[in-house]
Amino acid sequence: MTKPLLDVEDLRVRFHLRTGTVEAVRGVSFQLGRERLGIVGESGSGKSQTGRAILGLTPPPGEVTAKRLAFDGIDLLTASKRTLRTLRGGRISMVMQDPKYSLNPVMTIGEQIIEAYQAHARASWSEARDKALSMLEAVKMRDPSRVFALYPHEVSGGMGQRAMIAMMLVTDPDLLIADEPTSALDVTVSMEVLRILDELVTERGMGLIFISHDLKLVSSFCDRVLVMYAGRVVEELEAKNLREAKHPYTQGLMRCLPTLADDVRPLPTLNRDPAWAL
Amino acid sequence: MAGAPLAEQPAGLRAWLLSAEPHSRWQARLGRFYLGWRAFSRNPLAVVGLGIVILLIVVAVFADFIAPYSPVAGGDLRTQRLLPPSATYWFGTDDQARDIFSRVVYGSRITLFVVVLVALIATPIGLLVGTISGYLGGWVDTVLMRVTDIFLAFPRLILALAFVAALGPGIENAIIAIAITSWPPYARIARAETLMIRNSDFIAAVKLQGASTPRIILGHVVPLCLSSLIVRVTLDMAGIILTAAGLGFLGLGAQPPMPEWGAMVATGRNYLIDQWWVAAMPGLAIFVVSLGFNLLGDGLRDVLDPKAAK
Amino acid sequence: MLDIQNLQVVFGTGRLRVDAVKDVSFHVEPGAAYGLVGESGSGKSTVLRAICGLAPITSGRVVVDGKEVTTPRSKAFYRTVQMVFQDPYASLHPRHTVDRTLSEPLAIHGEKDAEARILQALREVGLGPSFRFRYPHQLSGGQRQRIAIARALILRPKVLLLDEPTSALDASVQAEILNLLDDLRRKLGLTYILVSHDLAVVAHLCERLLVMRHGEAVEETTSKALRSGVASNEYTQSLIQASQGFTRDAKQPTQALAG
Repeated sequence: MTKPLLDVEDLRVRFHLRTGTVEAVRGVSFQLGRERLGIVGESGSGKSQTGRAILGLTPPPGEVTAKRLAFDGIDLLTASKRTLRTLRGGRISMVMQDPKYSLNPVMTIGEQIIEAYQAHARASWSEARDKALSMLEAVKMRDPSRVFALYPHEVSGGMGQRAMIAMMLVTDPDLLIADEPTSALDVTVSMEVLRILDELVTERGMGLIFISHDLKLVSSFCDRVLVMYAGRVVEELEAKNLREAKHPYTQGLMRCLPTLADDVRPLPTLNRDPAWAL
Repeated sequence: MAGAPLAEQPAGLRAWLLSAEPHSRWQARLGRFYLGWRAFSRNPLAVVGLGIVILLIVVAVFADFIAPYSPVAGGDLRTQRLLPPSATYWFGTDDQARDIFSRVVYGSRITLFVVVLVALIATPIGLLVGTISGYLGGWVDTVLMRVTDIFLAFPRLILALAFVAALGPGIENAIIAIAITSWPPYARIARAETLMIRNSDFIAAVKLQGASTPRIILGHVVPLCLSSLIVRVTLDMAGIILTAAGLGFLGLGAQPPMPEWGAMVATGRNYLIDQWWVAAMPGLAIFVVSLGFNLLGDGLRDVLDPKAAK
Repeated sequence: MLDIQNLQVVFGTGRLRVDAVKDVSFHVEPGAAYGLVGESGSGKSTVLRAICGLAPITSGRVVVDGKEVTTPRSKAFYRTVQMVFQDPYASLHPRHTVDRTLSEPLAIHGEKDAEARILQALREVGLGPSFRFRYPHQLSGGQRQRIAIARALILRPKVLLLDEPTSALDASVQAEILNLLDDLRRKLGLTYILVSHDLAVVAHLCERLLVMRHGEAVEETTSKALRSGVASNEYTQSLIQASQGFTRDAKQPTQALAG
């Protein structure tokens, strides 16, 4: 890794509410190359806000500050709106949790992919159409030309999420941020979606940030894992070394899950040490 | 009870109200109320609206002490007719040599009477029709909603006119007429809310405890519909006051010599050019009170119905 | 304790007809915990809702505690069978305090001594009396689910229907709730029917389970067999594999692309 694709240093996301200021992300730093990075944490750990802040999608009362937030050498904090717009959806894409809410219900899937493509590449309609169809094929749709003409409500959750991935990858981004891309899906379907995602990311040499609450899933999918707690990264480790996690929170998260492999009862619970949040 | 010592609440009333661990039903309820009040009081216009409504109530209750003259008996018709506003007659006098200020003060009673009665009649009807039809669905829903549609199809003032024409003019009949024309929108709102609530898990849970249908509707559905309905009723109050005044203006509402604001504007109409105060003063009262209810309603909506606010 | 014979649930008619449950039978002994596993659309939750009357029984028999259920269910039925829902954010009335939520079932059934029973119910689910007058928005997800469990237990039922009771919760909170459910079953001698998509959760809580797919029973098996990885059915096998996490070199599951 010579030059990092994404360089984040001391990222903070604050929400100024009437009741006071809430800091959702408190000084997160990491570097990302063309690799698969997992961000794991429970609800309220700030993992999703981290992903959104990188894309500049922090909801209104929120304020993002960082010592450095650079994508491929471009400072995302000082970049003009235009630069950001071309980056977003072009070189950086995001897949959200539920395809039901992220696809436009009144446009066919094909039209949406074409629109996403034409927003970032100068291409004729027929070129864009070919590109969209090949993208739908790439996400293993059985009958791409049929799916192309379908509306989002006419497809299953798994197909919707694959269509979403097709749409997000059609511009050949360098970085994909996936926020709980499979938690609305059934297990067997989600494995399929992950396999497709994995193939595409490896093939195209993209950087991937995979945000999830599921430690087991993330560690089996990613190269490196950041464990977040109360807005901070409490531990960073190689996915394959997960069993050697040092932080009690990571250890606790791993142990408290019931497994098919062994029958522990009662399940060990997590005693949250207030010191972790400091 | 919870057995918590008083030592836990040294920080005064505010901390007690905001406690995350209320020790009694009342503390929980008051705490909730206090939070609502804090949100409400952050909106200055809403507080102005509340102030106007409170002023209306105070004036209506203490009219006997506030009004310097009788609202009905006039003064000397030769010397005290149609006098402009002055230190003696703050709002001037009308064609019967009556003090307009005193009449406006007493008129607040009639306005308040109309507002309260319409709210007391229309809200429960709308709430019950809406929640029952929404919760039960099926043919009950069809029948109740068609009835609502029929009432909704009549223009309010025309139906009120027909009603008053049938029953005879008078403030009570005017109130009934307004009430029966104003419940259908409330039923619609309550039904829409109920349709959302009806399939939620907490209703399924109470069904599984064996609760009867009336119990579910009254104890679990109605309280959730109530807040959006209160907002709507408050916002409608301005319209109700105007309708009552309109009926009075047409001579179908309160009958002379009752100091009803709309009827007062009607008499003032004859002197509009030279003695503007005769019509303007009660008109101003109608305007201020309507505005007060609108501001209050907007403020309440922000507190009670956050999703409708944006 | 619970006997389901040839249960069939159909919603709608004609073109809108949906066969949610097709001919499902199983039997649960008193004090046992039985799991229903499957993916969305498998009809597992519909079975649960048909038992307690939230979904119609189109044909078949549901026998609870030796008596076939009637439609509508009797008050006695609700004293025997209670349910805990998936989403603790949706299953508590937002305007009712914990106290009101817990006293409602007591009031419906004319039970005396509400005060003591509410405090006892709170104690049973590991919450102190300080929670009694809180509103749901003052509680965390795990605390809400504890309240929902307390509400289900306050009438002293024999059967508890659990509809994905932990899937909306964080992993560490899930462990606490699973431990609580395990304890309560032992202490109160309850019978559980647990619906979940998570094999590990079902294997943890239940002894026997039924794998469902597209409204049909695929295979009845035991947690022991599941743990040792024995499954006669290919679908069950693919579920077991998926629950192990993501594997790069795995062979393609045969059915996942359906739809």
